[in-house]
Amino acid sequence: MADVLDPAVIESLRELTPPGEPDVLNEVLTIFLQEVPPRLERLRTFLAAGNIVEVQRAAHSLKGSAGNIGARALHDICRQVDDKGRAGDLSGLAPLVAALTLEFDKVEVEIHRLMSN
Amino acid sequence: MLPLQVLVADDEPVSRTVVAAMLKKAGYSVIFANDGEEAWKKLDCDDPPALALLDWEMPGLQGPEVVQRIRARSGDTPPTYVILLTARDSSADIVQGLKAGANDYVTKPANEDELIARVNVGARVVQLQTALADRVRSLEEALANVKALQTLLPMCAYCKSIRNDQNYWEKVETYFTQHSNVSFTHSYCPNCYERYVRPELEALEGAKAAQDRHRQGR
Repeated sequence: MADVLDPAVIESLRELTPPGEPDVLNEVLTIFLQEVPPRLERLRTFLAAGNIVEVQRAAHSLKGSAGNIGARALHDICRQVDDKGRAGDLSGLAPLVAALTLEFDKVEVEIHRLMSN
Repeated sequence: MLPLQVLVADDEPVSRTVVAAMLKKAGYSVIFANDGEEAWKKLDCDDPPALALLDWEMPGLQGPEVVQRIRARSGDTPPTYVILLTARDSSADIVQGLKAGANDYVTKPANEDELIARVNVGARVVQLQTALADRVRSLEEALANVKALQTLLPMCAYCKSIRNDQNYWEKVETYFTQHSNVSFTHSYCPNCYERYVRPELEALEGAKAAQDRHRQGR
């Protein structure tokens, strides 16, 4: 099975920490855990309301967050939602958003594992 | 030299944090904007950051709109070097971003080496622009001096005094010392030596000889 978080990306984030400064990897993962769940929630609400413009916006923003921590699978699902949203195509969005939620749960577990190390 | 300041404008906090960490590691100082409006506010001042990394898709003003505003601004404000940062990567998007006035374009998630290499190019351009602006300023100052001497000067045909703007007659030396970087040192030419200096010396010699004769005759 592919890594939930790309180890190369995690390593490069870790290396961004200047000597004597707080750990950048830790900071980025903490922000991710704070910022992503509310936006995921917003995405689901907008999907239920059929607001495709806001669904696309939320997915685009989530895609950026996922890409930055090397969450490849999550990034890929977000990209599909982003593309469909941009095309105004609501079909097949519900299963994609369900998959997105499942993948986020995996990412969250992996982040907690990394942060407790 | 002070580290160059870079504005990072992105509504997405994870990306903002990562990009800022990359820039700080490379020695830049970083300020943030959480959306396009805030970015524009921080760029629309007398002393804007030298470089800006603008996200394309932000609530309110989008990246390309911010660039258009920067480029439309008139006046002496130094131009900010702008790199658009975005997940959009089709060539139509790249063309649109550059047409809006961006200097460069980096796709997200940013690769550290590429991002820093492009920011360094921007820093070089900014430094060249600053050096060029300084050079132009000193040349303009020099030109202003030259202009001050490019006028028609009224000069007395006999004593060679010059009439200044306040209608006073000044010595040539005084006039030029005030209106240029010229200063004078006094000497005499061979003609004037023959005409003035030698007769004066001879007169002195004559006076001395007469004095001596007078003393001996007593």
